[in-house]
Amino acid sequence: MNSATMYGAIAEKLLRGETIILDGAIGTEILRRNVSWADHQLADRPEVVRSIHEDYIRAGADVLSTNSFQLCRRAFDNHFRDVAHRRHIGAVDLDERANRMLAASVRLTLEARQRTVAPRPVAVAAAVTTLEWCFRPDLAPSAEQARAEYREIFQVVKDAGADLILLETVNSIPEARAALEVAKDIGMPCWISFVPDERGRLFTGETFPQAVAELEPRGVDAILLNCAPPDDITAGMVELASHAHVPIGAYAHIGRFDPPEWLFTAEYPPPRYREVAAHWKQIGKRNGGRILGGCCGTTPEHITALATLR
Amino acid sequence: MYEHLRSRLQRREPILLDGANGTELVRRGVRWRKHGLLTDTEAVEQLHRDYLAAGSDIIRTNTFQLNPRIFLNVFRNREHMRHIGAPGLEDLAPRLLRTSVRLARQARAKAGREGTAAIAGVLSPLEHCFRPDLAPPADQARREHEELALVFAEGTVDFLLLESMNTIAEAKAALAAGRATGLPVWVSFVLGPEGELLNRESLGQAAAEMERGGAEAVLVNCAPPPDTTRALATLKRSCSLPVGAFAHIGRFSPPSWKFEFFPQFTDTEEWPPARYASEAKRWREEGATILGGCCGTGPAHIGALRAWLATDGRSVTA
Repeated sequence: MNSATMYGAIAEKLLRGETIILDGAIGTEILRRNVSWADHQLADRPEVVRSIHEDYIRAGADVLSTNSFQLCRRAFDNHFRDVAHRRHIGAVDLDERANRMLAASVRLTLEARQRTVAPRPVAVAAAVTTLEWCFRPDLAPSAEQARAEYREIFQVVKDAGADLILLETVNSIPEARAALEVAKDIGMPCWISFVPDERGRLFTGETFPQAVAELEPRGVDAILLNCAPPDDITAGMVELASHAHVPIGAYAHIGRFDPPEWLFTAEYPPPRYREVAAHWKQIGKRNGGRILGGCCGTTPEHITALATLR
Repeated sequence: MYEHLRSRLQRREPILLDGANGTELVRRGVRWRKHGLLTDTEAVEQLHRDYLAAGSDIIRTNTFQLNPRIFLNVFRNREHMRHIGAPGLEDLAPRLLRTSVRLARQARAKAGREGTAAIAGVLSPLEHCFRPDLAPPADQARREHEELALVFAEGTVDFLLLESMNTIAEAKAALAAGRATGLPVWVSFVLGPEGELLNRESLGQAAAEMERGGAEAVLVNCAPPPDTTRALATLKRSCSLPVGAFAHIGRFSPPSWKFEFFPQFTDTEEWPPARYASEAKRWREEGATILGGCCGTGPAHIGALRAWLATDGRSVTA
């Protein structure tokens, strides 16, 4: 199947009201396997990344996300005063490193899909995050600037063969809107996932009804919530479910952010995580198809448990 | 210990700093999290010992860019850090600073260098060292640097070294905060591509301001060796303090997922120890008395400087 039909199969299932299983964490799973995550390990340890994708296919994921969290040109440029400074003291490949790594992240996921037989269609989602730090909406670039940067990123992952864009851990509606416009302009299906706070709102104070009103007319294919503790995701799902007409979904983080790494806790073993996900499925009943997965701290075992909710 | 150093400075005798901590620890395979100060204390202490064995007169704490902001900055705010962050992040930076001093002191004691090697507590810009645009206002910077300086003073270090400072305002604030603890303070500036301060202020003006603020030495660091050589003439012209330099070698190669400064440099083989020492010779000729290595350098570079100083280097008049 080509990209259009691969995503088409997922979209059809959602239209029929079926539950789609997303994968679990990549970054924290790399750490859990005792490998540093400082360079995404796309070049140094591709076999580790690929085997995690393969484990998620075996666990039952319908959608794999690429190992590309916060990977973009800006992530490198932010470490220098300006371009002149970067050229003066920076590694010589920094200008094209982000795009090369983005393409590699898609390639590794496609390879994993090719190597692992699954009795169902499996789509590859290019995981793209906010251009600045995901928890810092105060740093977000202007919409115009954001559009230019997203255009570059989306074109790279499209050319590399991704089936859809999963814009995740988004912290403001303007940035979501800018990215969505670009995704639709270049013809990619686009899911958008926001970080909710404890009250079930965005970090900017914007609400999910507002997000729905802005994104649905622009053709968003699904709206999700991620990278918050399960209770916050639940609060956001209640807000989202009562207003959205498109498929909705959720993937919470479990454990604690211990920068630059992750603290794994025993609070949400797979059966308990499955229980909260079953609740999210229930909340979204009116919305038809739902998407369930895992964010930071979740493992293939969590996805195995979720897959029984299909 | 500092009195010994001060009298050597006054006699304009050459003083040898150590080389890089961060890039060398990463090169040795340390996974860079919390500066290795929770997970790799043995490696940190061993590196201090390797620098002492190579001939360093001063070892610097492994605390470059280590302050509460590097944890706070990756959250929405303090409440968010408490909500989803690991326990203990709020007071982690001072705890790590204490560990860094303990490791430096242990290394010095084990090397039998308590009477001949000084420990410098390293402070640096509160935000990313290459991003002067992010620097906090001076009064805020003063409070935050003072908190860190006090930890070092209680630690106890022999003096404070402000490294890779990128604006005059924050350097002044940190200098005042450091002096308030009673410790001597040296200030070192990072250079932009044109030899200016990274925020485009003049290096000469910065040096003069540091002298007025009570610094005991002014240095330049974290720029390629030839840039460093050029900057020394400016320093020498602009103040009457002892001056010094520690250059970086190779090219800064930040990883794709890191918010704060991450000590990863590539292509360092372009500056093997002998070549580095020959450039440092020019620093001596420009009047530098304090010499060392920044990112990318290792104990071999310090060893090469020591070997040269032991022969003809000492005789160069500053």
